[in-house]
Amino acid sequence: MSWLANLSKTYDDHANVVGQFEMKKNGKEYALIPISHTTQTAHIEVHLNGRGDIVNAYVVDKNDGSTIIPCTEASASRTSAPVPYPLFDKLSYVAGDYTQFCGEAKGTPYQDYLNQLKAWCESPFSHPKVQSVLHYVSKGTLITDLVERGILHVDSRGKLLEKWVAAPGDQEGKKPDIFNVIASDQSGAFVRFAVDIPGEPESRLWRDASVQQSFIQFYEMSLQDKDICFVTGDYLPVADKHASRIRHSGDKSKLISANDSSGFTYRGRFRTSRDAATVSYEASQKGHNALKWLIDKQGTTMDGKVFLVWGSSRLDMPEPQEDSFIFWDDADDEAALAGGDRTHKEFALQIRKAINGYRYDGDYQSSHEVTIMTLDAATPGRMSIMYYRTLDQNIYLDRIQAWHESCYWLHRYRKNKYDKLVSFIGAPATKDIAFAAYGPRASDKVVKGLMERMLPCIIDERPIPLDIIRSSIHRASNPVGMDNWEWEKTLSITCALVRKDHQQDHKKEGYGVSLDTEATDRSYLFGRMLAIADVLERSALSKDEKRATNAIRYMNAFAQRPGRTWTIIQSNLQPYQAKMGTGARYYNSLLDEVGAKLRLEDYTDKPLTGLYLLGFYSQRNDLYTSKKDKEAAAALNHNDENENQMNEQGDN
Amino acid sequence: MRNQIEFEVSGKYALFTDPLTKLGGEKFSYQIPTYQALKGIVESIYWKPTLIWIIDEVRIMNPIQTESKGMRPIEYSGGNTLAYYTYLRDVRYQVKAHFIFNPHREDLIHDQNEHKHHNIAKRAVQVGGRRDIFLGTRECQGYVEHCQFGEDESFYDRIGELDFGTMLHGISYPDETGSNEREVRLWKAKMQHGVIRFIRPDECTLIRKAGEGTAKIFGSENMQSVDDLHSEWFDNEVNK
Repeated sequence: MSWLANLSKTYDDHANVVGQFEMKKNGKEYALIPISHTTQTAHIEVHLNGRGDIVNAYVVDKNDGSTIIPCTEASASRTSAPVPYPLFDKLSYVAGDYTQFCGEAKGTPYQDYLNQLKAWCESPFSHPKVQSVLHYVSKGTLITDLVERGILHVDSRGKLLEKWVAAPGDQEGKKPDIFNVIASDQSGAFVRFAVDIPGEPESRLWRDASVQQSFIQFYEMSLQDKDICFVTGDYLPVADKHASRIRHSGDKSKLISANDSSGFTYRGRFRTSRDAATVSYEASQKGHNALKWLIDKQGTTMDGKVFLVWGSSRLDMPEPQEDSFIFWDDADDEAALAGGDRTHKEFALQIRKAINGYRYDGDYQSSHEVTIMTLDAATPGRMSIMYYRTLDQNIYLDRIQAWHESCYWLHRYRKNKYDKLVSFIGAPATKDIAFAAYGPRASDKVVKGLMERMLPCIIDERPIPLDIIRSSIHRASNPVGMDNWEWEKTLSITCALVRKDHQQDHKKEGYGVSLDTEATDRSYLFGRMLAIADVLERSALSKDEKRATNAIRYMNAFAQRPGRTWTIIQSNLQPYQAKMGTGARYYNSLLDEVGAKLRLEDYTDKPLTGLYLLGFYSQRNDLYTSKKDKEAAAALNHNDENENQMNEQGDN
Repeated sequence: MRNQIEFEVSGKYALFTDPLTKLGGEKFSYQIPTYQALKGIVESIYWKPTLIWIIDEVRIMNPIQTESKGMRPIEYSGGNTLAYYTYLRDVRYQVKAHFIFNPHREDLIHDQNEHKHHNIAKRAVQVGGRRDIFLGTRECQGYVEHCQFGEDESFYDRIGELDFGTMLHGISYPDETGSNEREVRLWKAKMQHGVIRFIRPDECTLIRKAGEGTAKIFGSENMQSVDDLHSEWFDNEVNK
């Protein structure tokens, strides 16, 4: 389905939540807005009775200001020219006595507002509560009433105060509420109405579904211009202007814009944008409102680029850019995560269990699709769909599962809810891959670019681009250049990438986190030797001597010229071996064992492949895991506390 | 069939611009080729004013994937601007098409030799088309090869039905309709097991007008018969 039809269908599928506000984690409210409506922040709330008399008025609390207001096409995209919203608007539109308090306004906003409201009330779709509002605003006493009730404040000349200045002798004087909620002066206050009718449960007009319906019908009637809609294929009223503010409230860019009559976008074959394409008002409104809602609800934004994934049968889906950590239930799986049971089988089982929670096992007849969409704007005015893909839900989940099960390693940079570092096995987040490849100071632009490039690797199981892997290997081979925690993070992420790449190349299960003592790969063996040298020297040093070992210092050179550098590392190892005496025996014999596996012709200066990092990591991990723990793991018992190899890790 | 050709067209990228995104200029491709785009490809393989090509079916071989690129299109008003174009990547389509004779070209009735045109068209497919092939837009080069429609495995073989909703079918030009109006045709596209069966242009019910134009006239001023050309070239050689 085309993107707009798909979004429009999502709107229809969730028609039951239209107009209902939900709360985001950060306390911000969002809602699926009805068609012909938009949201604005209201500052003043006026309560009327059924006869259209003012009963009460309040200043609206900042957190409660979000208001769904009816709007026309013209008012939705109004700029400096005064075009009134149909029901709620700023004082300059709704107050008949505006000029008396604030001076002349541009155009005739009040009259325009009144005419528009009258037309609504005289139409067959009029609503009694809206009539009460009309009755009240036609009196033209709004500001006078608000001043009387102490909501608005006037100066000595009877004009509205521009800003609050506490009286000289009155330092204790409290700043009136209105100045706390409004940034500009009082004349810019936005007013919303409530009509209290005994027996009616909903007095707030902006939450009253019947008022919303009444306006939708009235506005639909006024749309006369019909044409064939490119989305639905029906003959319907056409939208000339399309929604902006899609990514956030300050966003001016549009997905469909039609004012590019001077560019070469459609000119040539077509003269006007109308010739090129038409979209019905309904499809445009529904599609855009659904998109805004989805972005608010579950979009991920990175430097203006929005990553969005949603399912047709179930909205929330595991997102491709997330790491496996989100699948671990940190409360009860702590032991399993950090424990010695690191078999791939167990880990894969966990992932499968978590992903199966998303699978739909209802009727197989209807299609359950997942849509992946990425939006970004190259220039401020126009927005582009950078990536769009619809997939069968089960295929999508299979792909996500395959990603997490193939691009995994043991990581230790995530914190649990107690703010404690925990280790987890799994795939890294695409954002963290970007930091591994380009460093922590990579610009957001670079990071979002990589995040988009990784999408096909996950969703289409494409190989990871070589430049990303190479750059990560290069950074992971240079531990001296960064803090310890950062290097450990880079190393474990690079290991995940190298593992995935190696597996893809050889079409079989690759190296795991646990040490593969049978491996004869040259790079892997060299990596193991480097790890042994590192651990040997580290254990010869005293606890508070935190300096880098020779192995770590020479790591970069070692990766380039292993043969020659190993001679240097080994000669530097001599004093430590001597210092440890018999304590070094185990390491020495291990070095001999690994060295014996190296064939003579492999002992050269040919640069090492990324596999040496796997050998390094696994060997080091193995050495730091106590014998007891290993035995326990072998017996498939869950055990804990064998993470001491990273106890020097800094804070993330 | 006596007037049908089958071929496979593939390319690294394709851009069958969704008209909605054409207005602003951030072009975004439809998921599948339009009738008009395929017709253009067939006409690049072989075409004469005598013929009208009808596209019967297209089979989508590769999974539908998109990739975006930053573009610097030239602005009509001068300078250039930055835009993101979103392309389909790694596309491969099998196409079945046939030709009919243009009923509005009475002056070319003598050329309506089905056997001749069919053979020329088949030869043109074998050599990858007479003119260069592009997939939707000029920057997306395509390559044509002969194939048996339905051979090989398609990614969508096992997927029963995929609904693409309303999309552009093509544009009716005066030289093929006989009327002086240019029309945009829409249709509802459906894919079954990877195959989209197009309806014929005259079966489209969703039609909107999009300007006017006249058919180009071909006559003795801008056309030359093969026999004349032959004598022009080779008579001279003989005379040398």
